[in-house]
Amino acid sequence: MEPYIRSTDITLTFTPKNRDPVTALKDFRIELNSGEFVSIVGPSGCGKSTFLNVLLGLLKPDMGEMEIGGKKITGPGVERAMVFQEFGLLPWRTVMANVELGPELKGESVASRRPRAQELINLVGLTGFEGHFPHELSGGMKQRVGLARALATDPEVLLMDEPFAALDAQTRDLMQAELLQIWDKHKKTVLFVTHSIEEAAYLSDRVIVMTARPGKTKRIIKINLPRPRGYEMRLSPEFNDIKLDIWNTLKDELNPRE
Amino acid sequence: MRFGVLSERSVRFLLGAGAVTGFFLVWEFLLTFVFTFNPFFITKPSLMWDATGDLILSGELWKDLYISGTPFVFGFAAAVVVGIPLGVVMGWRRRVAFALDPFLTALYASPLVALAPLLIVMFGVGIKGKTILIFLLAVFPFIFNAFAGVRSVDTLLINVVRSLGGKERDLYFKVILPSTLPYIVAGARIAIGRGIVGIIVGEFYAASEGIGHALIWFGDMYQLGHMFVCILVLMIVAVIFTVGLRKAELAIAPWRTQETR
Repeated sequence: MEPYIRSTDITLTFTPKNRDPVTALKDFRIELNSGEFVSIVGPSGCGKSTFLNVLLGLLKPDMGEMEIGGKKITGPGVERAMVFQEFGLLPWRTVMANVELGPELKGESVASRRPRAQELINLVGLTGFEGHFPHELSGGMKQRVGLARALATDPEVLLMDEPFAALDAQTRDLMQAELLQIWDKHKKTVLFVTHSIEEAAYLSDRVIVMTARPGKTKRIIKINLPRPRGYEMRLSPEFNDIKLDIWNTLKDELNPRE
Repeated sequence: MRFGVLSERSVRFLLGAGAVTGFFLVWEFLLTFVFTFNPFFITKPSLMWDATGDLILSGELWKDLYISGTPFVFGFAAAVVVGIPLGVVMGWRRRVAFALDPFLTALYASPLVALAPLLIVMFGVGIKGKTILIFLLAVFPFIFNAFAGVRSVDTLLINVVRSLGGKERDLYFKVILPSTLPYIVAGARIAIGRGIVGIIVGEFYAASEGIGHALIWFGDMYQLGHMFVCILVLMIVAVIFTVGLRKAELAIAPWRTQETR
């Protein structure tokens, strides 16, 4: 089967003011099948987030191009939506208005976008909080809004940039389980960037381990664990073997000075 | 926090009101019983009270406030209409900022009241000259605060709106303007102070009516009671505006006041 998302070798160099250029990505290449859950792990600064921004259409690579469903990516598009690490909620908008942002920008009327936004708010468990402002919510609730907002445009691909990194450990466990349920129900293609080996192993069909900067693929690890995956699975020997495998692949790339 | 049976709010109000009353009582007491009272140098609250009655009953106070208030409203409105868009565009389009920066910095830094005599010569002592002076004084806080507000817009929010298909126009109206609004309100607080200075200075020069003129005139007449009432009225006006704007700030940007407290 043709992969749903694919890229040629992507190279991207930043030139910060008064500093040496930094090559964030060098010959990075990726292929994703439709409906697949893929995680990217790699050392800090290896270009994982940069890659997501290229895929999102906010950054243009110096070399290489990306294709989604056979079409070249030239900018943001409705078939892709991002969940950001720092949530990125508009503080002057209520939960409802934040979730409705995407459809609103597409010019959808209130009548058509409201019921869908309500459905998504219910889906992420925020029923009753529609009129709340972000500063009145906990971190976990904020990211639920972030997730609902990303789903509101009904994208094919969900890009997630360390979405649970700012949450406490228990909230993170909870959100991971809920994300899997939502993914199972909605059949989105998910590209998930994380620092957590456990998170990557628990959620993904495949884990891409990246090298240190300039980032490229070091190894792709298939996670052959049955779904649906419960919390118990995280305590199984098979799961621990996978975590160890990822760790062993990753550890040479980690810079003790970072 | 509670103080006995009273809420913090009532205690705050009672202490504030009590301190102001005490201040006037001590003032009155000192000039009546401790120091010899010379009405050519200073006044005391009882005389100010009489002057207040006089100014209100004769209708002079309202007339002066109306005369001074009109150019203030016009000048201030013009400052809002010109200052905010200019500041926002400068913040978002660096080249515009680079081009305008020398002019604005020079004008903001210099004592613009020095222009007052020139403006009076050019536009006369009436409403026109005063409006322009108030505009010139009040516009800069709007420009600079709108500019600073735009520069501090969270790029994450820009990326969010862009990634969801937002166009340039959406960035302005859905991100830049709302996140700049609290800065603009803060700018308005400064602008009001400067605008009031504009009225007074404008009317010091050769005006024949208005609260600034009344202030000078009563001073020349050694009617210090009346003069102090004019000063007090200006203070009250400034306080009303400031408190009103603080409340407006709370209403527009509740998340921000939470952050800063």
